[in-house]
Amino acid sequence: MKLAPLWVKLSAAAFVICAASPVFAEKAGIGWQEGIAAKSGKAKTMAELAKMYDSSSCIDCHQDTHNDWNKSIHARSIFGTSRTAATFKTAVINGLMEWPYSGVKKPEDVKVEHLMGCAKCHLPQLADAEDSVAKEIIATIDNWQDALKKKDNAKATAEADKLKGLNINCLICHNRNAITHKWTDGYPQAGVVYGSKDGDHPSDAFPKMKTSPIMSESIQCGQCHGLGPNMELDNPTQCCTSYGSYLWAYTAEGGSETCQDCHMKKSKLGHNMQSYRDPGMAKAAVEFKAEARAFHWRDGATIKPKAVVKVEMVNHAGHSIPDG
Amino acid sequence: MPVPQQLGRGDRMGRGPYEKSGIIEDTGLPPGKEVRERFDIFFPTEEVEDENGKWVTKPTASELDLEVKLWYLPFGTMNADPFLWDEFKQTVRISTTGK
Repeated sequence: MKLAPLWVKLSAAAFVICAASPVFAEKAGIGWQEGIAAKSGKAKTMAELAKMYDSSSCIDCHQDTHNDWNKSIHARSIFGTSRTAATFKTAVINGLMEWPYSGVKKPEDVKVEHLMGCAKCHLPQLADAEDSVAKEIIATIDNWQDALKKKDNAKATAEADKLKGLNINCLICHNRNAITHKWTDGYPQAGVVYGSKDGDHPSDAFPKMKTSPIMSESIQCGQCHGLGPNMELDNPTQCCTSYGSYLWAYTAEGGSETCQDCHMKKSKLGHNMQSYRDPGMAKAAVEFKAEARAFHWRDGATIKPKAVVKVEMVNHAGHSIPDG
Repeated sequence: MPVPQQLGRGDRMGRGPYEKSGIIEDTGLPPGKEVRERFDIFFPTEEVEDENGKWVTKPTASELDLEVKLWYLPFGTMNADPFLWDEFKQTVRISTTGK
């Protein structure tokens, strides 16, 4: 029997090693390999993805902040008020399955790339998962809707809770999405909490703190709260447009406050970031004045009394109301 | 509210985020700018015969209860999660004497 040359054996070995390592394509920058996703490898299930970005240990020391966050929609970003989950499904049925070149004929055909139109903001970490997770999310939404139709409340709650288990938690804003300009400031590193300080952090899972140069800047929120069409996608989507309005209609006109100034600090809401559903935010955002009077108006010889109501509204928010 | 363009082309409004790309117009409140609205509301009237046998138009009431409500309709309809942002109520009166 003829032996294979040594270089063939080495090539085969190299191929096996590559195939077994985390499935991430090479990126141009330096240091991305030290990030949470690159170190973990792509998640294969929703549970694995939740575990990859598990921030439950933060609660030990940041209970109040967690409680605030838990009241916000960030805590259930793919479920929302239930309409968000329903819209994920609608995007598949009325969008992907209708478009001739999407490659989706049935919900089971959905891949991560298909869902990023929603997940770019509602679950950015989905980009760190395999297609099986995209399929599982759609199947879970299916199960939840099916349980609702059958009035099986226990199952509906369980499926909804599974969806709520994936969200915009501490690690999304304070790690994964804490740095926008990665070639300038470096890629977010596993084990680091990004915020306003540098130093040690008393946590086994996250032993370091580093300053994020954008944590108090509007661009931090603008990563998700939208410029307009998401052109980087093969089939652009558009949802929130607040950041576009903020840039071109607010700061361009001299506005100087940040998203965090109004939604976290002045409102005293902290991590319970709200908009109009918080009475204080709604009142602060729109000044509404009206006055009315009545008189005998005369249309030629005919008296036609009328009331005149004059309304003045000023939007004091840093973006158009509403947006979308 | 913003009227999103369907798939970034033409004159159709898009509905879901998956088909919205662009804005055709925006009737919302822009930041930092005063927006004024004026409403002219006629009192209800009826045709009545006066003391000279002449038919004239007379208001059926001298008071009008006015309500102005600023609604935000996240899904474009009062049937789905409407939000009352602010409201104004006033009763206005017209004189009942004079010619």
